[in-house]
Amino acid sequence: MSAVLKPKSKLIVCDGNEAAAWAVAAARVEMVAVYPITPQSSLVEYLAKFVADGRLAAELVDAEGEHSVLSVLQGACLAGARTYTASCGPGVAFMFEPYVRTPGLRLPIVMGIVTRDLLTPQSVWGGQQDAMSVREAGWIQVYCESVQEVLDTTIMAYKIAEHRDVMLPVNVCHDGNYLSFGAARVELPDQAEVDAFLGEKDVNWHVALDPRRPMAVDPLTGGAVGSGPATFVRYRKGECSAMQNALSVITEVHEEWGRRFGRTHAPLVERYRMQDADYALVTIGSMTGAAKDAVDAARERGEKVGLLKVKTYRPFPVQAVAAALAQVKAAGVVDRSVSFGWNCGPLFQDVIGALYHAPRRVAAMSFIGGLAGADITTGHFDEAIRRVAELAQGAAAGGTVWLNEKD
Amino acid sequence: MDQTHYLIVGASHAALSAVHAIRLHDAERDITVVTRDQSLPYSPTVLPYVVSGRSAPERVFLRNEDYFTRLNVKYRRGAAVRKVRPATASVQLDDGEEIGFSKLLLASGAAPALPPIPGLAGVRFHVLRTLNDAIALHSVLPKTKRALVLGGGLIGMHAAENLAKGGAQVTVVEIQPHVLSGYFDADASGIIEKVFATNGVRLLTSSQVTTLAGSGEGCRAMLSDGAELDADLLLVAAGVAPVTDFLDESGIEIDRGVLVDDWMHTSAENVWAAGDVAQARGFFEADKIINGILPDAVGQGRIAGMAMAGDAGAKPYAGGVPLNTYAFFGQQAMSVGVQESALDSSGVEVYRQVDAEAARYLKIVLQDSRLAGIFGINWAFDPGVMRELILRRIDLDAVKQPFLDAPQKIARVLMSRNWR
Amino acid sequence: MGAFETISFRPENCNGCNDCMIACAQAKAQSDDAARSRIQVLSSDGSYELAMCRQCGDPECVHNCPAAALSKDAESGVIDWDASKCVDCLLCTVGCSYGGMVYDVDAGHVAKCDLCDGDPACVKACPRGALKFLTTARIYNEVGNLEDLFVPGLAGCQGCNTELIIRHAMRRIGPEAVVATPPGCIPGMGTVGYNGLTGTKVPVFHPLLTNTASMLTGVRRYYKRIGRNVKVVALAGDGGTADVGFQSLSGAAERGEEMLFICVDNEGYMNTGMQRSGCTPYGAWTSTTPVGERGRGKTQDAKNLPLLMVMHHCAYVATASTGFMEDLYDKLDRAIEASEHGFAYLHVYSPCTTGWRFPSDQNIEVSRKAVRTNFVLLWEFDPQSGLRLTHAAEDPLPLAEYVMALGKYRHLSEEQIAHIEGTIAQNVKFVKGLAAGVPLAAAPA
Repeated sequence: MSAVLKPKSKLIVCDGNEAAAWAVAAARVEMVAVYPITPQSSLVEYLAKFVADGRLAAELVDAEGEHSVLSVLQGACLAGARTYTASCGPGVAFMFEPYVRTPGLRLPIVMGIVTRDLLTPQSVWGGQQDAMSVREAGWIQVYCESVQEVLDTTIMAYKIAEHRDVMLPVNVCHDGNYLSFGAARVELPDQAEVDAFLGEKDVNWHVALDPRRPMAVDPLTGGAVGSGPATFVRYRKGECSAMQNALSVITEVHEEWGRRFGRTHAPLVERYRMQDADYALVTIGSMTGAAKDAVDAARERGEKVGLLKVKTYRPFPVQAVAAALAQVKAAGVVDRSVSFGWNCGPLFQDVIGALYHAPRRVAAMSFIGGLAGADITTGHFDEAIRRVAELAQGAAAGGTVWLNEKD
Repeated sequence: MDQTHYLIVGASHAALSAVHAIRLHDAERDITVVTRDQSLPYSPTVLPYVVSGRSAPERVFLRNEDYFTRLNVKYRRGAAVRKVRPATASVQLDDGEEIGFSKLLLASGAAPALPPIPGLAGVRFHVLRTLNDAIALHSVLPKTKRALVLGGGLIGMHAAENLAKGGAQVTVVEIQPHVLSGYFDADASGIIEKVFATNGVRLLTSSQVTTLAGSGEGCRAMLSDGAELDADLLLVAAGVAPVTDFLDESGIEIDRGVLVDDWMHTSAENVWAAGDVAQARGFFEADKIINGILPDAVGQGRIAGMAMAGDAGAKPYAGGVPLNTYAFFGQQAMSVGVQESALDSSGVEVYRQVDAEAARYLKIVLQDSRLAGIFGINWAFDPGVMRELILRRIDLDAVKQPFLDAPQKIARVLMSRNWR
Repeated sequence: MGAFETISFRPENCNGCNDCMIACAQAKAQSDDAARSRIQVLSSDGSYELAMCRQCGDPECVHNCPAAALSKDAESGVIDWDASKCVDCLLCTVGCSYGGMVYDVDAGHVAKCDLCDGDPACVKACPRGALKFLTTARIYNEVGNLEDLFVPGLAGCQGCNTELIIRHAMRRIGPEAVVATPPGCIPGMGTVGYNGLTGTKVPVFHPLLTNTASMLTGVRRYYKRIGRNVKVVALAGDGGTADVGFQSLSGAAERGEEMLFICVDNEGYMNTGMQRSGCTPYGAWTSTTPVGERGRGKTQDAKNLPLLMVMHHCAYVATASTGFMEDLYDKLDRAIEASEHGFAYLHVYSPCTTGWRFPSDQNIEVSRKAVRTNFVLLWEFDPQSGLRLTHAAEDPLPLAEYVMALGKYRHLSEEQIAHIEGTIAQNVKFVKGLAAGVPLAAAPA
């Protein structure tokens, strides 16, 4: 991240939840629906306060649950509104029904997930199990590393979601507790620049609930016996190709952001000290900071370790991941959630799937850490680097390593 | 040659009813109505009241111009049809103009029949079938002192009453033993005759005029009993006959009237007939009859119109039921159905209540427990309901005595239960 | 041609008191002689029959008049008699097969009913509701020219009245509206269209079974924000309203969202195969409360959803029935109006020919019986006026008239019928209590 402070921008200190709220204001979101849930709650409180203070000129609906939150946004978006909400954990689980409907309607809704674990209602702690559990629902998912990235990415999300080649909802994920409550110095971009960057809102040209252009929204009723499965297949194929289009759109949008605001974020993956690496860690989200420190320390010890941060998780940047890892002998993938049935992390699964496209076999192993809000410390990453180094030297990969098991 | 989809000859009840029925089903295709009259449509039935002054000539019209405009109907006055040519689907008017049609309705009505009385052609006389006839008759009323009416049918009796009310000394000559013999039996007619006599009208029944001769402004009639009778006004009301002369070369089958089936269709393709010109199945008779009454003209016109327009809701003609209503000197007579004499005698029952003094009369004719006829003078019942009882052949067996005791009430109860 | 108002006669309510006839004779002939009444009620074999002018659509009396003295008024539908043209020929009496055109001896001319300029004296005089002046025609005349916003021929079951409800409702609501029809019979019959084609002329959405009210919240709020008045309407079944849809409904109602939520209550999941819902009444057979060796239908009473909505302080709540269309239309009008400033909830009872097992030509009759037996109560509520019954709950028909008409109750034991009667009695008492009480305070703005 390189920073050139733009003349009209403003520096503030805030946490990730507030940063998201600032982004919502900057994007001139018109309709916000909220329901509180730890650790997202302060985010919606900021939104409500911004509305009350006149900083955010949005209609705010205090809905009676997350299911309705997303439903309100669907209706508003179909009527033509730019929309936002955020949730996490059980809230995401509860809204699953409208959640899976949203991409099929191709509604460019932006929703923050302040990631949280899911084991019990009491497990209010950080963890990415919520977002990872809905990764096959058709939403674009991007994971942020820093408070500034939360702010910038939330704004960028509208440009990505509303791109005519994409028209898909976007989850901007930031880690509960770590990014949600961790304060940092951030730069608020100039409003006029944001307006110029986002351009005209473009949310319901393709599907609308508007008496001026009446239509039945997705009348698929015929199914297999009526119009035949063709209509349904057309829908699904369209979503899939939009998801693939998003790879280049996300890249373009991040590049434009960099040009306009002088602050660049890696769009799909970030290669950190990968140039001559023999082996690498693969990370996602806020854990990356500690991981980079561990990599730096290892480098100082002379270990040829690099790091690959995955920012865009859906669509999964298969080629970028394969290309980045093709040069190393081994990779250790650190997940903050689990994939049941595979006994590994979901990111690990995706990475090894991407490595199928690598010109040669790359050994890989799965680390799972940071569940229930636990820290993944540099110590944990040191351990991970050691294990991956062994793997690179030909050791057997073994099973998943649970980093916090003995904490 | 003008071309029209529906061509209707005549403009009285049958014709108007047909136009109405066509337009209920077919709002689009051309309708042309041609009438020999110069006026808007009117009913022959109203004419006696024009004579009496009860009705003004300008207030008798059944439809106005706006009606025809609204329904997109071309209404042509003074257009008498001279020839009908079913083979070329066209008619020719008196002035030689031809009109082509797809469907033709003959509703030309009837005209007064003139009796073969020597001397009739040589005297001035009136008939009453057109509005002009009525106006002419009305205009001579004030100066009429002695009127002679040939015929004691409805027209003759209506005219006689009106002439009498106008102050004339009126004599009616009727060949039958009783007046109004088409609708009432001797008892009933007797009551009516008595009312007329009381009001100064002289009724000569079983009598006829043998010769007529001019006498000053008026005429002198020789009667069959040898008496002589002077009159300054002569009205010939000895019945009417269907107007069919223009059909002579058409090839359309004609008996006394134009013969039609139960859809009012004639023997010629795409030609229908309805009203007083048509001869259709009777309800009681095997033979086809001319049931020359207004309600039947309306009904036949409707059937014809629906059939012409291809309206699937059309129902076949149930057969003509003779009926009439007759108001005279503030009293009412009603006749629905047939007299017992018109029926073969099996299963016929006749009930009557007569109070000649009070001019009250009721006769009920049943056949096989079903109503065949009901006739009343100053006796309240609903002729429309009775007509339905006849047409529906409602079995009265279970309610016979109550019906005979209170025909109006029981008929209404049956109505309410059977067709409300 | 419009439709016309008319007098209806319910012989079972008549006791032959003749008050109607005397009122007519007084009004029309300044006489106390019932014989001069233009309405004639006839007693025969313990029942009552009626003779009077039906103001026929294509009146034969008018056709039969040779003097143009009779005409049918295009506005009122009344057959007018013009004394100045009448020649007393009586041919009109031949045309009338209803005993409605009669010679009045004392008056010296024919006389007939003229509906007293739309305020019939006979109806006002009837103490027992045997005569009613039906103004349903006003609905037709007002709404008949409004655009039908659904495709002709929706694919409902034979005899289903839901189509009637949604067509009528949408005609009234008009095209500046967004309609949501959650899963159930209403989209199932094609309102959202088939095979890529729409079933309506207004924007229509097939939301989730669970989220209709919240999704409409978003639509309405956004249009309001940008200054457009777009009505939002839910046409939902009882499952999507009372069961799984209840949370979003309750939330939207509590927030006072401006919408019209119409619940078409057919007492179960009829579209999916007639399963039990929270609105299924006690004792009813459904495919998940079957009748067998041990099962005797549903063992719990239905939840009273409209009353629950009253407790949300909605701007308007009403129950309605297609057996009483004037009432339904009144309520529809009020509900539409209320939806401009708050949450309006209309609960329409909708018998299901297929799922309740009764002949498809009986739907309206069943609807009426449900009301007349007090099985359902018709009322309306707004916070200012409180709750009022719109159909008297006094003198209900015996419950058997309703339940015995329906296959889903054929198995009921006497105990079960007694249970239902008890429930009805409680409900009547409770609702009457509300109706008698002080109006609920308005919800804070």
